Amino acid sequence: MNIYLHELKSLRKSTIIWTCALIALALLYFSVYSGLAKDAADFKKLLSGYPAQLRAALGISLDNITSLLGFYSMVFSFITLGGAIQAMNLGVSILSREARERTTDFLLVKPVSRQAIVSAKLLAALTMLLATNVVYYAAALIFATMVKTADFSFQVFFMINLTLFFVQLMFLAIGLVVSVFFKQLKSVLPISLGVVFGFYIIGAIIATGNNDAERFVSPFKYFDINYIINNARYEPPYLFAGAAIVIAAIAATYAIYTKKDIHAIS
Amino acid sequence: MNVFLRELKANRKSLIIWSVCMFLLVASGMGKYTAYAASGANSKIFNELPASMKALLGIGSFDVTAMSGYFAMLFLYLEITAAIHAVLLGSHIIAKEERDKTIEFLIPKPVSRAAIITSKLFAALVNVVVMNAVTLAASIIMVAKYNKGADISGEITMFMLSMFILQLIFLSLGAALSALIRNSQASGSLAAGITFLSFAIAKITDLTDRVNFLNVLSPFKYFGYGDIVAGKSLDFGMAMLSLLLAALFFASTYFFYCRRDLNV
Repeated sequence: MNIYLHELKSLRKSTIIWTCALIALALLYFSVYSGLAKDAADFKKLLSGYPAQLRAALGISLDNITSLLGFYSMVFSFITLGGAIQAMNLGVSILSREARERTTDFLLVKPVSRQAIVSAKLLAALTMLLATNVVYYAAALIFATMVKTADFSFQVFFMINLTLFFVQLMFLAIGLVVSVFFKQLKSVLPISLGVVFGFYIIGAIIATGNNDAERFVSPFKYFDINYIINNARYEPPYLFAGAAIVIAAIAATYAIYTKKDIHAIS
Repeated sequence: MNVFLRELKANRKSLIIWSVCMFLLVASGMGKYTAYAASGANSKIFNELPASMKALLGIGSFDVTAMSGYFAMLFLYLEITAAIHAVLLGSHIIAKEERDKTIEFLIPKPVSRAAIITSKLFAALVNVVVMNAVTLAASIIMVAKYNKGADISGEITMFMLSMFILQLIFLSLGAALSALIRNSQASGSLAAGITFLSFAIAKITDLTDRVNFLNVLSPFKYFGYGDIVAGKSLDFGMAMLSLLLAALFFASTYFFYCRRDLNV
């Protein structure tokens, strides 16, 4: 319990900064929406002139692309990128910070098992991610209702925002498992930024095809917002794959951290 | 000289990893070109989309079925990779001494702080040039492999030149921030945050013309891709201003580091 509370306190400032950043980004995008809505009306007229097969080939769904949810789905990938960086930072730093801040000697001699330590830290990270998501969702809901031109489904909106949490979970788990492999991580940033941007770019460039197998490579592509808007549910294979990755990574973290040779302060 | 050689050696492994990643990025990006070119018949529709729609679809204002337009779309991702590399490099190369506790060894040596900074920044510059060269080579090779239209090596070189200026800006930004801020973790995060913000702004100004004044905050937008694709060379005034900005940041690195209270 002590470790959990201590980690919460030390993560507090960074979480607040990240939440404000995500909200500010959302605010920026929503404020652009009103200008876009006008363009959208013209574009809809243009698109309706093309035959249906052509539209289907381009993957453009007439209603979705101009609605608030359609717009949100496109800008949301960006917010997910920011959230992923936060989660990855959290995952990579939370276990390696003991080595970095020279507190290993103090913590590991306490009568607390290593599993308990990992659990407490994991729980603290989860709490912070949950807090970020809740506050962000509230803010996004307020913004969306402020700029909407037509009613949208709150349930679908909630489901879209939930994917942020899922992607963050995946990156948290990936970050945790990556961090246990290093003896001492001197700096969290190169790994976390590199991995997150790597997946983002892979998702943006490679997984643009309709090839399902390619979508498994990048966590950013696991949840196709258009599908959620159309069907109001997630795609089961990707949901399972995501859950499997999270569970496997966390299990690996426990396994490796418990058996790992942790060096004294150098 | 010693500091310069030592820094080159220390950064060698990281540079190799980043270069390989950049090469793979260019290769995979080009690999996807065939998918875009295949839908060439639809380019008329692409061109008639309103600008904001195109931006949302990630196409921007280019004809992505032509190689030059496609490369312009891919280029933003190459630039952000290079920018992250440069900003992390600049930030680390200054902050690592205090973080790794080697500052006590280095400072009493009969080398002035300014000389240390010069050697380190030169080593960082060499890294940035190598990164740029790798991207240039990879781009030319991969484009030649997939290109069915006109040769665009000239345009690619222009792109790389603009990327080099961008790398200089971010390198100097990272260095200046870590010379200024006491906590090395905080300065790295701040530098990365600013890079990410510039990227976000670049994407947002694509969406709508109304916020074009924000472009000044985003180095990614200093050089218009449309102009480069059209074959024009870089805007001289903009290039000069960017170099001036980088020079300003470099100068502040020296200024702040020489007056800094070192964390021993």
